[in-house]
Amino acid sequence: MTEPISKEALRTDEWTINMGPHHPSTHGVLRLELTTDGEIVSKARPSLGYLHRGLEKIGERVAWAQFMPFTDRLDYLAGMNCNCAYAWAVEKLAGIEIPERAEWIRVLVCELNRISSHLVAWGSFCADMGAFTPLLYGIREREWVNDLFEMVCGQRLTYNYARIGGVSHDLPPGFLEKTKEFCDYFEPLIDEYNRLITYNKILVHRLKNIGVISARDAIEWGLSGPNLRGSGFAYDIRRAEPYSVYPKLDFNVVVGHADRGTLGDCFDRYLVRIDEMRESVKIVRQVIDRIPDGPVMAKVPRVFKPPAGECYFRAESPRGETGFYLISDGGTNAYRLKIRTGSYMAMNIFEKISKGVMISDIVALIGSFDIILPETDR
Amino acid sequence: MGLREYISDISEAVVTIAKGMRITWKYGVDPKEETTIFYPEERMVMPERTRGFLFNDVARCIVCNMCVKQCPIDCITLESIKGADKKNVLTSYKIDMGRCMHCGLCVEICPPKSLVHTDGYEGSSHTREELIVEFVEDDLATIKARIAAHAAELAKAAKAAEAAGKAPAAPANPAGGEKK
Amino acid sequence: MEPVAATVYPNYDSVGRAILEAFPIIDFLPVWLVALVIMVVVAACAIVFILVFEGVGSLVLRKLAGDIQSRVGPNRVGPYGCIQFLADGVKLILKEDLKPAACDRVLFRLAPYLAFVGSCAGLVVIPFAVGMIAADLDIGIYYVMAVSSLVSIGILLGGWASNNKWSLVGAMRGAAQIVSFEIPVAMSIIPVILVAGSLSTQEIVRSQGGLFGIFNWNLFHNPFLFFSFFVYLTAAQAETCQTPFDLPECESELVQGFMTEYSGIRFGYFFLGEFGELFVVCALATAGYLGGWHIPFLDAGNLGWFWGNLLSLGVFLTKTFTLVLVSMWLRWTLPRTRVDQLMRMCWKYLVPLTFFNLLGVSLWLLIFDGKGIPAMIAALFG
Repeated sequence: MTEPISKEALRTDEWTINMGPHHPSTHGVLRLELTTDGEIVSKARPSLGYLHRGLEKIGERVAWAQFMPFTDRLDYLAGMNCNCAYAWAVEKLAGIEIPERAEWIRVLVCELNRISSHLVAWGSFCADMGAFTPLLYGIREREWVNDLFEMVCGQRLTYNYARIGGVSHDLPPGFLEKTKEFCDYFEPLIDEYNRLITYNKILVHRLKNIGVISARDAIEWGLSGPNLRGSGFAYDIRRAEPYSVYPKLDFNVVVGHADRGTLGDCFDRYLVRIDEMRESVKIVRQVIDRIPDGPVMAKVPRVFKPPAGECYFRAESPRGETGFYLISDGGTNAYRLKIRTGSYMAMNIFEKISKGVMISDIVALIGSFDIILPETDR
Repeated sequence: MGLREYISDISEAVVTIAKGMRITWKYGVDPKEETTIFYPEERMVMPERTRGFLFNDVARCIVCNMCVKQCPIDCITLESIKGADKKNVLTSYKIDMGRCMHCGLCVEICPPKSLVHTDGYEGSSHTREELIVEFVEDDLATIKARIAAHAAELAKAAKAAEAAGKAPAAPANPAGGEKK
Repeated sequence: MEPVAATVYPNYDSVGRAILEAFPIIDFLPVWLVALVIMVVVAACAIVFILVFEGVGSLVLRKLAGDIQSRVGPNRVGPYGCIQFLADGVKLILKEDLKPAACDRVLFRLAPYLAFVGSCAGLVVIPFAVGMIAADLDIGIYYVMAVSSLVSIGILLGGWASNNKWSLVGAMRGAAQIVSFEIPVAMSIIPVILVAGSLSTQEIVRSQGGLFGIFNWNLFHNPFLFFSFFVYLTAAQAETCQTPFDLPECESELVQGFMTEYSGIRFGYFFLGEFGELFVVCALATAGYLGGWHIPFLDAGNLGWFWGNLLSLGVFLTKTFTLVLVSMWLRWTLPRTRVDQLMRMCWKYLVPLTFFNLLGVSLWLLIFDGKGIPAMIAALFG
């Protein structure tokens, strides 16, 4: 008989690995300090701020209307959503009534942008999981949306389309037909994506039961958007606090339903995004059918000075709640401009749910939150 | 783990992998699925509203300074001197293309619509200085000489009008320089 | 044993004798010199072959990725990008060879060679054609299993010597994975050995010749062997670290795994080694299950020295490249497994399955006296 080896002799040390800011799957410049025991992560601490550009401070320096191009740089995958959210916020602050057609156009471009953003989220998530092909398919379909946006506003990524009081241009001729064509082309592809990879056994096993967030935790840590709905809590700002023409539209709030594994795991968050693309296509179709004619820009004075006061406006962006808190002192620029973004809130819970997972799962967690670092660091 | 679960695990893996491979096969054998545009040889047709590089038609510019004020990142600078007919004359109109973010706010606000977006998008350079584009081609001396000539012309016209007892008819302002 | 190998395979001693008559000077040279020259020539042939295969393979890999992903792939160097691999090779050779300041210099340099040698040494016993094999060892399969373990040492050394935590994680994963998957790979090739009654690769291929064309392949010998083939392919995919089992590299998690710190031609050696290994396992699958160089309904041995070798070489390479293509196709479709799932798959699924297969094949051979299903059907019809 050999001597039993004592537990002390087998003790191994933990080490600290620096994941990022330059790492293939941190979606930009997120930095994580991993404390791991071999492959098992005991602690993952996100360290933010590598992409801080002081956007809120810029917002206090430039005039109200001039901040619009900077909102494109908040969430570069969903510039339209940020544009429109800021415009809605300023209009709420100044009490401006915008033309009916402009509202419909804004909803149309927001939903199109939600599709394109979720496509990239899906593709890059799959690329994180090791399947490179879905990323290219996602980018391929996103080009359609980019082409549409280039038609309507002249840019493919930084749109700067919304204006305080409406939108900068009316829809170009042929735009609605092309959008309809895109919907017809895109809708069957979602099923193809599901066949290609969603229910692939390897992917399902990588994602199920990983990073489980209960609905209670999700609310307590301030998650929003698909990350919150993935936990099974049906909270969508488009329904809960309706703005613009969303009350007139018919769509479902997609929630996670523990399709495989536990409610609130990575797979649920993944599926919520896939299904939200379907709902967005549904909304886009309704908008195409019901969009009214008319002007697209309200009368707004050239030197725009909203009355002194404050307001908070929240909109549902692809990454959750995008909120603008504005304080005006009656001047030409904001006294204080605070932005609340979904990605930043998602980083808070990261440390809590990353205990005891493996290094590979850290990648899955980052992907499942669909964070955008410019939005996180602002 | 029961035997049934064991076998269904294996069969599910095989079936889902086969489904995925069918789709990649479909795209793999179909040559029409290529979406690449061979860029230098083929080019995309840019839509009408493309916000490419800025171009200012200095002959039509009224030197109102609106674009400079509107630009959120201060990439436009202009200099002007007083012309003969009390209007400002551009002596320099510079846009720093390296800073310009093509937001289009300046174009929207331009009163004579002389500042426009072209559909150009190829403008790399080796230094940052090359990216600062000057739209006024003439140098200061030429412009001053032109203003002086214009002033002399105006004075002559005024004298002639005085002599004729009629109201002076101002000739068109030639000081804006030729079109680029 | 089934007497399919009734045809007399020509003795290639005559070729050697002809060469000897043509160059009588060989007679006067010392034996060791002649042996050395022969060895060098054969090794050079093998190296040139594997380099060309790897070059073309990397190009095909990228072209295939382009096709699958709705894009074009390399298309600038040469027509349709067909000499892109030469440009890649030149780039790899000319690139600066970076060494981390705190690396273990000796091991850092040694590791790529080990990985490369380990993968290419398997070529020695690959039966390319009826008379084309570098050395027909009577322990051929055993030899391949042995030398391919060198790769895991190369990976482990590379990861350790890089002095980079990501590299080390990748290296540990690689070592664990390759060592584990050697077992199902070996266990799923043993049924073939049982059927052929030999460890020599050439002998295994010969045992699959005969009059029924492709039905002489071991693949159709009996249901257990048919199943065993797919188990072998899966395990081989993992042993060569191809997607979905490319955990040692795993570019989305470990940056580039054990290769993170390597650049230039040292990276190139790892890369080439990977391709070499892919070729070796696919060639083994061809030799073991898909009838090797046997031309269907034709006896390569009776075609004469030149045509017999050329045609059988073509057949062998076609089958092997088909398997390589399937591996690449898998690579561009599937996501990656996690390391614990990989181990679970190895020990809970593949290893029991291979044991089951081994038992089944042994029983089959015992009960049916070594006859395969096609042979039995043929016997029914006289």
